[in-house]
Order: sequence, then C-alpha cells, then structure tokens
Amino acid sequence: MRTVRSVVETLSCVFAALVCWFPLNVRADEHSSDDAMKFFENEVRPLLIKRCYECHSEKEASGALTLDSLPSMLGGGDSGPAIVPGDPNNSLLIAAIRYESLEMPPDEKLPNEEIEVLTRWVAIGAPWPGADSKLPVRTRELFDDDDRQWWAIAPVELPNIPELEPPYSNWSRNEIDYFIADRLAQEGLTPAPEASRIAMVRRVFLDVTGLPPSPKQVAEFVEDDAPNAYERLVDRLLASKGYGEHAARQWLDLVRYADSDGYRADGYRPDAWRYRDYVIRSFNEDKPYDRFVQEQIAADELFPDDVHAQVGLGYLRHWVYEWNIRDARTQWKTIIEDVTDTTADTFLGLGLQCAKCHNHKFDPLLQKDYFRLQAFFAPLLPAESVIADAEQVSAYQSQRDLWQAKTADLQAQIDSIEQPYRDKYRNIAIDRFPDDLKIMARKPPDARAPDEAQLVYLIERQVQSEYDRLDQIIAPEDKERLVALRRALKEFDALKPEPLPIAMTVSDVGPIAPPTRLPKRKDELVEPGIPSILNADPMPITSQPVPSPASPTTTGRRSQLAKWLTDPSNPLSTRVIVNRIWQSHFGRGLAENPSDFGRLGGPPSHPELLDWLTVQFIHEQWSLKALHRRILLSATYRQSATHPRFNEYAQQDSANVFHWRHTTTRLRAEQIRDALLFVSGTLEDCEGGPGQLADASCRTIYTRVMRNSPDSLLNGFDLPQFFSSIATRNTTTTPVQSLLMINSDTMLAYGRLLASQVQSESSERTAQVQLAWKRVYGREPTQVEIRQSLDFIESQQTEVALSDDGQPSGLLDTAKLPYRDGQGLKFELDEAKPQVSVPHHPTMDVREFTIETFFQLRSIASNGAVRTLVSKWNGSNQAAGWRFGVTGAGSRRKPQTLVLQMAGKKSDGAISEAAIFSDHHIQINTPYYASATFRLPTDSEPGTVTFYVKDLSNDDEPLLTAVVSHDIVADLANNHPLAIGSWSAKDRQGFDGVIDDVRWVGTPLGVDAILQTVENENSATVGYWRFETVPGVLRNSTADRLNLRVRGDTIVRLTPDEAAFADFCHALLNSNEFLYSH
Amino acid sequence: MGRTRPKTESMMKHIEIPASRREFLTRSGAGFGALALAGMAGVRGAFAQQSPSHVPTAKRVIFLFMEGGPSHLDLFDPKPLLNQLAGQPIPDSFGEVITAMGEMRSPLLECKRQWKQHGQSGMWISDWLPHLAECADDLAVIRSCVADGINHSAGVCQMNTCSILSGRPSLGSWVSYGLGSENQNLPGFVVMQDNNSQVVNGPRNWGAGFMPAVHQGTRLSEGNQPIPYLNTPEGFTQKRQLAKLDFINSLNHRYADQHPEQSELEARIASYELAFRMQADAPDAIDLTEESAETLELYGINAKETNSFGRLCLLGRRLAERGVRFIQLYSGAGSKWDSHDNIEKKHGDLCRGMDQPVAALLKDLKRRGMLEDTLVVWGGEFGRTPMSEKGNGRDHNPTGFSMWMAGGGVRGGQTIGATDELGLHATVDRMHVHDLHASILHLMGIDNMELSYLHQGRPERPTINEGKFNPKLVTG
Repeated sequence: MRTVRSVVETLSCVFAALVCWFPLNVRADEHSSDDAMKFFENEVRPLLIKRCYECHSEKEASGALTLDSLPSMLGGGDSGPAIVPGDPNNSLLIAAIRYESLEMPPDEKLPNEEIEVLTRWVAIGAPWPGADSKLPVRTRELFDDDDRQWWAIAPVELPNIPELEPPYSNWSRNEIDYFIADRLAQEGLTPAPEASRIAMVRRVFLDVTGLPPSPKQVAEFVEDDAPNAYERLVDRLLASKGYGEHAARQWLDLVRYADSDGYRADGYRPDAWRYRDYVIRSFNEDKPYDRFVQEQIAADELFPDDVHAQVGLGYLRHWVYEWNIRDARTQWKTIIEDVTDTTADTFLGLGLQCAKCHNHKFDPLLQKDYFRLQAFFAPLLPAESVIADAEQVSAYQSQRDLWQAKTADLQAQIDSIEQPYRDKYRNIAIDRFPDDLKIMARKPPDARAPDEAQLVYLIERQVQSEYDRLDQIIAPEDKERLVALRRALKEFDALKPEPLPIAMTVSDVGPIAPPTRLPKRKDELVEPGIPSILNADPMPITSQPVPSPASPTTTGRRSQLAKWLTDPSNPLSTRVIVNRIWQSHFGRGLAENPSDFGRLGGPPSHPELLDWLTVQFIHEQWSLKALHRRILLSATYRQSATHPRFNEYAQQDSANVFHWRHTTTRLRAEQIRDALLFVSGTLEDCEGGPGQLADASCRTIYTRVMRNSPDSLLNGFDLPQFFSSIATRNTTTTPVQSLLMINSDTMLAYGRLLASQVQSESSERTAQVQLAWKRVYGREPTQVEIRQSLDFIESQQTEVALSDDGQPSGLLDTAKLPYRDGQGLKFELDEAKPQVSVPHHPTMDVREFTIETFFQLRSIASNGAVRTLVSKWNGSNQAAGWRFGVTGAGSRRKPQTLVLQMAGKKSDGAISEAAIFSDHHIQINTPYYASATFRLPTDSEPGTVTFYVKDLSNDDEPLLTAVVSHDIVADLANNHPLAIGSWSAKDRQGFDGVIDDVRWVGTPLGVDAILQTVENENSATVGYWRFETVPGVLRNSTADRLNLRVRGDTIVRLTPDEAAFADFCHALLNSNEFLYSH
Repeated sequence: MGRTRPKTESMMKHIEIPASRREFLTRSGAGFGALALAGMAGVRGAFAQQSPSHVPTAKRVIFLFMEGGPSHLDLFDPKPLLNQLAGQPIPDSFGEVITAMGEMRSPLLECKRQWKQHGQSGMWISDWLPHLAECADDLAVIRSCVADGINHSAGVCQMNTCSILSGRPSLGSWVSYGLGSENQNLPGFVVMQDNNSQVVNGPRNWGAGFMPAVHQGTRLSEGNQPIPYLNTPEGFTQKRQLAKLDFINSLNHRYADQHPEQSELEARIASYELAFRMQADAPDAIDLTEESAETLELYGINAKETNSFGRLCLLGRRLAERGVRFIQLYSGAGSKWDSHDNIEKKHGDLCRGMDQPVAALLKDLKRRGMLEDTLVVWGGEFGRTPMSEKGNGRDHNPTGFSMWMAGGGVRGGQTIGATDELGLHATVDRMHVHDLHASILHLMGIDNMELSYLHQGRPERPTINEGKFNPKLVTG
C-alpha cells in the first residue's frame, strides 16, 4: 500500500498526469482555470493528503466519509455532505477543521493558514481537476429524490416542439430540426449550409447501406431534378438489401456475435451464422423492434410455433466457451454473468457490471439488482433446435427411416466396434472432473437438481469432443474393419436425407429455476426483478407449460423480462435503441455513452429530442426504418461537414455536441473492406449462409468471425474482439495500419484490380484517371488533380521501366494462413491458374525424404480426386514418382485424409502404384502442419511412410502420427519438376486453399527434427520455400538455387504503363478521402 | 472509489502533432522522403509520454514468459517432503484442487534435481539452472504466486490481462497507455517468441482489449521483416515507393485542408511518416551483426540449444536500449513448457535453452548499467503439481508457483512467500496475479488504482480494482 509520504513526494508528477488525463470534463468556467487548478494541486491536495487521508480515504473511510475525491466529499458520510461548494460556512468539513462541530483532525487543530487554504478552496467553488461536481458518490442503500430524478429512469413523455424564429425556422425540415435549432439558438450557433449533392449521396449510401455509391448511382441522384429526389433516394436505400447488411453490423457488435468459441481452441460454430442471417433479415423486413427483442430473449416461451423466431435465441449463445475446463461450476457462472452483462449493456444501457460486487458507486443500482437481472437467466439451458416446419421434419424422418432400415445391419456392426471405445472415453472424460461432478454426470437425468443439468451439459460437451476424436483412438486392427464397413455404408448415401437445419438456441432446465444468491450471502435468495429503483418487488412469474415438444416446460422467467424490455413505458430500453440509431448516423449518441445511461455516461445533450423521438418510435410500432428515415430527412443530418464560421464555433463546441455541422467519420473496418471490393469491381452479392473465408468477395458481414484469428486488414481498422458488448468502435491511427495499407499484398492487389477494372472501361489515360477518381471518391477530379495524377503516373512509368527486374511474383495470389506468420500461396481450382514448380535438379535425387508443409483446404474433391499439396510425379503408374495430398469425398479408403501416393519399383522388379493413407481426418478451413516421410525397407524392417499432422488452430490437439508400411523397394527419383499445389506434369488435380512453407529434406526426419518441432536448418534440406516477400515469394530460403517458377497461360506481366496506373489506384485507396465519409 | 476519478477519453491518445498544420504543410513541400529523413523534429508520435504517479524505479520491463507452465518444484522451490512421499497419493490434509487432467489422486512425483544454495543470499536453485544460479543475488524469487486459470488459455490470458476471460487490455497495453514510449520510431510494446508456433490465445494476449489499437503489442519477428508489412513490396524500388508515398501525402493534405474539423486526418498523415521511420529503425534494432563475438558467446548464440532464446534475450536488450517500454519474450511458445509427461526431457531441454540466455541478459544489463531501471520478470502462467501425471509428468498448478523479478529497483537475493510442504498451495505472502501486476506497475511509477480508462461509461483499471504492490520486493 502506498504511504501518505510517497504521495506527497510525487504530487508534481500526479499533477502532470492529471492534466493529461482529465481535460474532457473541464468546463470553461472558474473551476478549470489554470490558477484554480494550481492552487488545488499545490496547496489543497497536499493538505488533504497530509491531514485527512489517513482516516478518510477509500481504505479507511471513518464515519463512512472519504475525502479523496470531489464526488465523495459531495456525497458525504454519516453526517451528510462534507462541503457545499462556494459556501464554506455551511460546509461540514470547514466547521470540523475550525473545531466548530466535529473536531477534525481529532489529535490537533490545523494551523490557521491551512484552515484558510481549505476555506478559500471551498469558497471558490471547490475546484477539482477532472471531477464533475454533479457526481456525488453513493454511500446509501435507499433511494432519495435525487436518485428518482435520474433522467434515464424518468418516464418518457412527449415534450413540446420548440417554437423557432427565422432563420432557424426556415432551416428546419422536420421536428428533429426544431429541437436542434432551438439549442443552437440558445448557444448562439447557426447550422452549417446543406451539404452538396455529391457529398450527400456518398454520405447517405455509406450510412444506410455501408457501401459507397457507384459513379452511376451518383449521377442518377445528382441529375435528378425532382424536388423529392433525396427522399426517394433515402427510401430506395432503406428498402435495399444493403440496409440490413449494414444495420445488422451495429447489432452484432452489441451482442458480440462470432462464429467461433473464443478461448484457446477457438472452435468453429457451424450453426452460428443463422443468427447473423436472422438479424440481417429482421432489419430488412423492418421487424418491429419490440418483437425483435422478444424473440431474442424468449422466443421459445412466447412464440414456440414460429420456427424462424427461435433462431433469435442465438442471442443467448454468443458467450465464449473453452472446451476443456474441468471447473464446470465456474465456467457456468462465467457464462451466466456474461449473458447478464451483455443484456444490461445492450437492452438497458446500464453499467450494471459495476454492481456485480457492490452497490453501484454513482447510480442508484444495487448489487441485488445485478442478481435480480441474472435470475431471469438462472434456468437457462443451451439447446440445438431444428429449424424446420412439420412437413420438412416428417419428410426427413420418413427418408431417414428408410435409410436406417436398409443399413441397420451395417450400423449395428459399426456400433459394435465403436461402442466400447465410446464407453471407455466417456468415462475418461468424466473422470477428469472433480468428484461431485463425476457423480452428477452419472446420475439418471431425472434425479438431477436444476443447476446440475447445466453442469452436466458442460460435462457432456467434453464427452462429445472425445467421441469426435474416436477415429484417432481406434486400434489399427479395428480400424481396418471399420473402414471397410463405412465404405459399405457409403453405398447407401443416395438414400440418406440431408440433415435438417440446426440453430443454436436455449431453453430452460425445467419449470423450476436453480436458486440465485448474492455472493457471500448464501442464505439470501434473489428473485428475478427489474432495477429496484423502478420497482423493488420481485417480478411476478408463473411457470406455464409450453406446448412445444422440445421444451415441455420452462420457468416463464425470460418471457417476463422480454415483456418488460418491450413495454412502451420502459424508460430505459426504449431510449437506448433510439439513441443507438441516432448514434449510427452522427457518430455519437444524443446520450454519449450508448450502453451507459448512468451518471458516468453523462446526460443527453438534447433530452427532449431523445424523448420526442422515443415517443414517435413507439407510436410508429417500433419501426426502425421509420426512425432512420426521419433522421436522414432532417436538415440536421443534411448539413455540410464544414462551416463558414468553423474556427469560431470550434472554440465553443469542438466536439460538435450541438450539431452545428455534420461530423466527418472514418469508415468502419467492414465498410473499408466492402468499399475496396466495391470500387475495384469485385464485390459479389452473397445471400448469407455459413461464414465465408476472408478472401471471399462477399460483403464482410458474411465472412467468418473467428475470435482468435481476425483478418489483419479488419483488425488494423479496429475490428472489435467480440468478447464483450461493444457500443462504439474505436478509431485508431497507427503506423502498423499505415504499413499494412501501403505494403500489404492485399492492398496492392486491390490497386491492381481497380486499375484493370478502369482500364477495361477506357483506354484513354485522362478518362481512366477520371473513372478511377469517380469510383473511389464518388466525384470528378479537378483539373489540378488530373494534372497531378497524370504526372505521377508518367514518372512512375519511367521508374518502373528502368527498374523492371522481371519478377512476376506480384501476380501470384498470396494469403495468410491462420495461426501462422507471414504469407502463403493461395490456390484455386481453376484450370487457367499458373503452376508453381521447380525444375528438376540433381540435388533432388534423394533416396529417402521428408516432405513438409502447412496448409488449409477450402474444399475437397467430391469424387476420389486428391487435392495435391506437393508432387514430383507425372501421375503415371509406370514411372517412379510421388505426390502428397488430401483425399476426396469418394476416396476408396477414407475421405479427407493425408495420402502419399507413389509409383515405384516393387519386389517383383516392376513399377506399380502404392497409396499410403494417414487416416487422420483433415477438416476444411482448418490450418494444419503435415509431413510425410518416405523410408526404404532395410534388411530387417519394411519400408514405411510416417505421417505427422497437427491442427494449428487447437494447441491442445496433440501432434498426430501414423506409421504405415509400403511395398516399394527403390527410391522414387525422377526428372519431373517438384510442383506445389498441383501435379508436376499437368495443371490439373490442383489444390484449393492456402499452402504455406514447403520444406523438402533428403533424409527421413524424426519427430524431434520436423518443422513443427524445430525450425533449425537441416543440412539435408533440398529446398525450403516460404513464400515471403523477403527474400522473394518464389525463392528458396536455404540457397539461391531451386527457386520456384511460375508458368501458366494467365501470367501476364504488368507493363510499366499498367504498373504505374496500378500504383496510382493503390494510392487512391490509401487516401483519406476514400477512408472517410463527410 | 476513492481518489480515483474516471479518466476521460482524452486519455485515448492518438498521434499528437504539436507543430502547426501550416508549418507541417510548408515543410511537407520537400517531399515525403526528405521530410521523413529529416527526422520530423517536433512530432511526438503515437506514443505520447504520460507522467508516472510516483517515482518509478523501473523505466521498462522485459517479461520472460515461460509458456506452458514451468515447474516451480524442479527449479526454485525445493520440497524435501515430496521425495519422501513420492509414489504415494497426496495426503488429504493438503486440500482438494481441481486439476486440468483430473489426476488429483495420482501418486506424488519425486523431484530428480540436485539442489544447492547460491550467491551470498544462499538462494536455492536447482541444477537445471546453473547460469541463473550465478545471478542468484539479483533475483527476488516469489514462491507464493497464485492464479485463477486451470487451463492454458485462462492462465496465459490472466498472466497477460489480469482476467481469465478475454477482452481486457494486456499489461503492456496499460503500460503503453500509462507511460507511452521513449522511442517514437518503434512501438512501445513489443512481443517476440522463440519459435513460430502460436502462443496460446494468439495475438489477443498482447491485444489492447477495449482500448484503441495503438496500445496493442506489436509482434516483432526475427528475420528480414520484423514487423508485418514493414518492407517495401518485392519488385518496388525505393524511388518508386517514395514517389507513391509522396502522392498519397499530397492527396491526404488536400483532403485535410478541406476538412479542418477532423483532426484524425492529420494523425493519419503523420502515421505514414512514422511508418516510414519505423521502416528505417526497426531492422536496425534487430540487427545482431553489431554485437561483439563476446556478447554473442555470452548469450549462447553460437550453440544450437541456446541460439533461439539467446537471440531473443539479446534482441530484448537492444530494444530496451532503444526505449521500448514493454518487451515480452516467449520461451517455449505454443505451450512447450507444458510437461504432462516426460518432464525430465521436456523441462530439461527448455531449461538448457533458456538458462544461459536469461542469465546473460541479466549480466549484460548489469554491466551496461541498465539493470537498475530495467525490470526483468520471469515466469509462466502457472506452476506444476506435486502429483504425477501419466507417470512421469506434472499437471497444471495455479494455486502455488514461483516467479522472479530482477532489476528495476527490486531487491535481489531474496525469496518472498512460501508454498506448503509439497508445493501445492501458496501459504505465506500469497501474491495473486493481480498483486504481481500491481507490483510491476508500481515499480514503473503507476498506481494500479489510479490508472483508469473509461470504457462504456465505466472506469476500467489494469488490475480490475484488486491487487496491491508488495513492498517486500524493494525492501526485502
């Protein structure tokens, strides 16, 4: 603990720090004047520390009084507030040090000059740097009138629309403007002129759909002379699919939606995307917000027959999950707290998290209130629900019955092999838990207490993950039989029905909820309820049977919460959503902290406007589109970002709280990626479905959100981490971001795409510049801008021509392999794609070898074809050679497994084929390390292939091994090139996905020497290709030979002219005018 | 909440440009490269320095993270009773713990190490660490560390962010936020690891959580491209690259001129300048060719076993010299210290790889006079159990384990705290991760309850409102 002495010694440092830390709250009044602050820091604070803190700081708080912050002084202690700013004679503190009432400090009266300092300080209004005098700290349990006057809990009432005088009255277009103008008039400010049509069209496109307008869309609007051109544009945009795709983003931030578990293994959630599509669809249908909320909180209780509404329950499933936590109790507690926190943030805008451990220090929220809210979720039980109507279900069932009947015998045989393993590993999984949980897991389900069902759910998930690994556990002798049986079973696949769609949902453990208790007060049960200041009684709840077979009964708690959240008289949830919509258009809400309406969040700048909009919103059936429309049509929204009296007004209101201009904002991460795809002409219209990989051309909202491996471009532009609810995105500027923009392959590729798009539309240079300009900025370039652009392109062209070193590597697609540094090569199944290979060289004549690589598959072949990782073979069974790859769905032996396919001399002297399989299951879209080692037979041992494979996305997954013997007796040397991602001889049978680091070592490597274990150089290395820009994508990193070559019809090297134009386009995409909306 | 006010958003510093815009524009007429090479005097950069709240004894931290959980029982915390009871189940009196792999009832595993006392202080260090033993009098070994995470993910997350749940800023981010960097051309918070495997949880360990990304750790790798995207793309001459930057600069200046209302626009211009300077400085910072043969020898860079972590430790010193505020070096990245089985081989190899380099770092810092204000922290996310696992390994143990600190005002040659007789639970002077972080921050001049960041209207603090400085670290 810090001593008082050291505090005094270091006050000067504190002062410097305070100046840096607090300026936002400093108002332009006497409180913040430099002199007052110096006086406080030099004289008052040292005195308080020296004389008072020993007893009246947070650690001690004698008489419940702390004097270490202004709020605590104003909040006071047992005897009431310690000071009344400006009135020393009515301040208890002053009376006490004067020994007029309490005698403080008790041992000795202060010297007169010190009493004088404190008296003067109170007299000048008790200035305290950074403190907001309106924030008395709460020390009470009960609520007083002050608490009840908290704006956020006051009933929403329809305020009168202010009356305006010209020029304000002429400026106003709708009611919003009356409130805004009234305040501007009070502040002596005038609104900015209306933004130009060019600026407006880009602003409103980005704002409503998230995408910039095309040159055509700009022209359509700018040339539309109709008086209601803008209104029609707004209506068109709100009706477009892009609206939901953009609006959903804000909601998904709030509910921390992701497609992965987070934590360590970051497991993919294959069904999470249905919630994302549900949100997009809900926005596009303009589903009334009250219904939207009800579905997410309690669709199972309120709308059990609406299968699509059930998807909304995914809201209660976005918590992070760790797959191997044995402390299931803490894990469940964490999950429920997370759901509570997110609900308080998202729907109520309350900093209820502050009240988890103690009563809220500023707001009238009790610790009990946190647990009252949590109690609504106490009976929660995760579920996976079939999202299909009765007809679909019955069709599925009859088809499945048919298939089962035909395959019953095979299934029984398979089960007889698998079941003993399941039993064994079920026990192993359960035995890892503490004793009481073991017992729980082995009880019959109906003997479990309600809270036990939740813990058993967590245990069962770990059992399931053992089952999922069964193939890696089964002994080789059983494996052979199993493979044969599964092959036989596959014959009936034509009969097998497609599985029904599944969504992540919830239900309750039953009609009785587990108890909710206050921490450290175990005997005190908490019933569900709303914040006590609104209603201290428990929420009346009747558990009712719900006519749904999936959940015969629930407690009914969540439906009560949902009803309260969507009650028109709820002062919080209604204002919160209206404020968020306002925020989405202006960058900040009318209440600045959209997820904290408490005193720390600050009061709204225009409380009447917020209330007026809220009343209208409820009146208009909770329609979000109507609210958007009203805002978008306001004169307030249509203001220019600049103001003729900018310098003057900026002094008065630099943050533009009063809305005297529009705010210039940087595009969000997704908007940037979407805009890059859009302006370069490569954006595809996607329809949702499972999350796409980052390299897909879909809008970003349709790409997969993996919490632990965010895309670097998005991450660079402040993508949230999706671990907790986020109401406001950060906007950061870092040099790392600039490096990414200027040097990354991704950005260079966008530059080239834009260039080739523009060049395909016009062959004339000036026209090209104009086209590029219009695509990127939505406006025509000026003459000066055209001139500068042409000059730049010309000089770049000269430079490129002089320096051209003939490297076409920039045309190879590279991509990052998740969980790996640097870049890998991206392959697509496209006949025209270039082939990457090294011509044969004598050093490649090796007897035995190890081939290693890191890769991620995007697809496997639907037939028996192999996705080739590396090959040195032409595929002929008459000539020696080999290929390392992954088998297709129709594989003779096992789909989706590693294979070393070879042709070589057998003991009969003839060359024939041998295919050796690792039997490890390779999942698509998952990064792996994999190697195959080819060993020749010795006198005593048969020849073998050893596989090592490691799932890079899961550190807990061990390095898997398989050693399989083969019957080849001679080396596999040949004169074919070594090819990466395809056959050596032909451009067919390629790879689909990313291949990183390929190393070929001319000797068998043991587990201690493989690349996954050590990265030391190996003297027997034939080649090591890492695909990094340094020393070069195609270069062998161990020696300057065996560099890769690229051949294929599509390799067209950029001419200096094209390269220079690509530089120009890349520069435009780096510029702020592209990255900002104004 | 005491004398701890909510700090405001202004603390979310972006790049500051004290020089006037006008001046900036005038100067930028010289072209991007010229401007950058002129050093941009006056631009303080993204890592604006804040002042500490009390006199710091450490200016920077080098955090040596033994990822996977090194065994305190085999390194710094000898337990004679363990070898006496080896082979038997742990007596009930030691209390129940939840172990990751559920082997609470497995027999106790003997410690095969030879223990000796070292230095004037007579500190116990096992024979796995002969070089560190020479530095015994510089180390303050904390034998009573406690964490909450049983799994690697939770443990590594907590040792970095104080919380077992993800989403909070890491310690380095708090330091960057609180103190800024001393070097404007390098990031203030740098992370390196000894191999290419992913550290558990990946980059979010050094993420800025809810703070702006400017405070996140930057992963530096060895080789030609230490920072992602640092190099000019392949096939681009310097002249071509500079011309492009120059053109971007002119586009950005025009837009910034038209939009004086948005100050970020200038920050983005400056960040391109900073990126350019980083491009010049970062490769130099990691270039070991300037180091003498003697230094390379000291760190074990010439020997295969010690090469990897030796290079990291030496790079750590070079970055510290250049004013990087928080340097985190991972040994055994990808949970390699995790020895559920065959601990003799696994720990033995890692100790041999880590011991000499870490000792060299301490000695090198000391002879350069840098140990005084450089705090070196050593440890993993947890320790290991006295119970065996799979016969010859040890499970995770967050309820009692050892870490040490050296330099930065810490009094060396002392052990703080103790575990029970088998090393399962910390019993004396327990230091929770919150206390460890509070202590590290304190040594850097930051009061863990004073530093706060307003997030969603809530003042968030680096140690989640808990934890306190352990004065024994400096007083002994």
